[in-house]
Amino acid sequence: MPPSQEIAQLGIVVVIVLLIVFYGGTMLMTLGIGRKRENADGYMTAGNRIGFGISAASMTATWIWASSMYASVTAGYTYGVSGPIHYGLWGALMILFIYPFGKRIRAVAPRAHTLAEVMYARHGRSSQLMLAGSNVLGSLISLTSNFIAGGALIAMLSPLSFGTGILIVAGGVLLYTLWSGFRASVLTDFAQVLCMLGAAVVVIPVIFFAAGGPGMFEAGVAAGSVTPQQQDFLSSEAFLNQGAPYIAAVLAYAIGNQTIAQRLFAVREDLIKPTFITATVGYGATVIGVGMLGVMALYLGITPLDGDVNNLLPQMAATYLPWALLALAFLMIIGALSSTADSDLSALSSIVMADVYGQSVGKDKANPRTMLLIGRITMIVATGAALFFATSQFNILDLLVFVGALWGCLVFPVIASFYWKKVTNMAFTVSVIAALVVFLPVRFEWVSLTGVLALPIEVLATVGIGVVLGIMAFGFFGLRVGVGVGIAATLAAAPFTLFFLRDYTVLSASLVAYAVSFLVCWALSVRSKQRFDFATIRRLTGDFDTGETPVTGAPADDDSSRRPGDGTPAHARD
Amino acid sequence: MTIALTAYVLVWPVIVAGVLAVISRGFFRELRAAKKEGRPII
Repeated sequence: MPPSQEIAQLGIVVVIVLLIVFYGGTMLMTLGIGRKRENADGYMTAGNRIGFGISAASMTATWIWASSMYASVTAGYTYGVSGPIHYGLWGALMILFIYPFGKRIRAVAPRAHTLAEVMYARHGRSSQLMLAGSNVLGSLISLTSNFIAGGALIAMLSPLSFGTGILIVAGGVLLYTLWSGFRASVLTDFAQVLCMLGAAVVVIPVIFFAAGGPGMFEAGVAAGSVTPQQQDFLSSEAFLNQGAPYIAAVLAYAIGNQTIAQRLFAVREDLIKPTFITATVGYGATVIGVGMLGVMALYLGITPLDGDVNNLLPQMAATYLPWALLALAFLMIIGALSSTADSDLSALSSIVMADVYGQSVGKDKANPRTMLLIGRITMIVATGAALFFATSQFNILDLLVFVGALWGCLVFPVIASFYWKKVTNMAFTVSVIAALVVFLPVRFEWVSLTGVLALPIEVLATVGIGVVLGIMAFGFFGLRVGVGVGIAATLAAAPFTLFFLRDYTVLSASLVAYAVSFLVCWALSVRSKQRFDFATIRRLTGDFDTGETPVTGAPADDDSSRRPGDGTPAHARD
Repeated sequence: MTIALTAYVLVWPVIVAGVLAVISRGFFRELRAAKKEGRPII
């Protein structure tokens, strides 16, 4: 017998007190790190020497956003016991698989601020714009999504309206991020990770036993609430609809997300590996664990409030938790969405500071004070834009799909650009555009995947499988193994994917994006005469704020500073 | 099957607790070191 669909609310006073304690507490934390004269580079990457505790907490907190908790619960409710694995495990691997590339990126550009800035030094303007544009769009969408999640949560658990809720969340996040930027974001991430992970440790078992404990599983099967596929740990339905598209996205989200890149440039170089591994386990266990609430809801035969599966997480918490633990669960979700939202604000400000101002007006004479002002204005404008999108009828999901695809198109050209001297700006740009041109009609089903058109798409998607697995293997084991795994995976997958993948357009489209960008980038680069000197990147990406105002491109003694009077890549001047 | 499913649900909070301990230990170690050296933690 499913429980009553009425949910308990925390009440207006309790919610306001909790929000004041949460945002007031984080604000107090940031006051402790406030500086009379903030450093522009510190505002973006905190001096590139963050320790393990803060960086692991920050990476974990940033990667866990409210949507990932909601989506994992939805996966558990929809696909059963394997659902949360097919959401959380692949999301966690996004962090793990990027760290070998992260080490290479840091070695090539030890004091950079954004990946787009590095692409500018490597290739030039068009590559930088593609990466920076996708980063901006992605962070803005993420920010909007977190505001929406906060507004919806506050509206559900208190008499406050959705509009009031998003205003409180947006104001709270902006309040503590605006002054100290990235340093505030990573420091408060530790407190937020305590909230999130601490709450997950308590809330999951309490709900499990309050909802009936082990007996719920037999009762659920007896009541016919669960299908055989939903009881199966190796559910093909869960893999093909949920897991496989996520595997394809593993590298795309890690490469395309400036919040990850920013932490990569901030953490002490020798701590990249332990930081990323800890964050992988922390993210995976938390998100999969929260997803178990969806599995419980499925076995208990619960119907989502208003038919919306996104309501399941607060609904389960409000139904089964006593008042004090409901408040803790509330803070868990507020912590998840705030930590990601502040990271998005920092990411957006860094992109505008380093990639827009730093590579245009301030290319040869960057003024750190102007940079900081621009960074802070960017945060305010981004918050306003996200509030506008959150309250308008904009289709966030379509935008997210588009940005995810753009990131998928960028993965091979970006990674290859850090290892292969022959990759040119032309190869980078054309391969990304070509991949997008093929991706869009497949993903949005503008062309029907039947008849003669289906087979070439399936062939490309099969090559895409080889590209994804080959890149992953390359990161850990080098070129020879990477190529071997790529070829073997393509050949091994072909008997299963041909005449089959046409029914799975989301998966096919993602794989096609990888395949086309790889094929075009490789074909245009393999005969190129360019032999790029990677030391150029180190010279062209460095600190903007060297203590002198304005920075005139004057070199410091070491070669990590910018070349005097020269912000332009050597090849771009030719 | 019931025991396996119960373990499957409850193992995640245990792992999360372990990660939380590792992160907290790292953070407080860095905090102590920063205080000792008289510099800000970040």
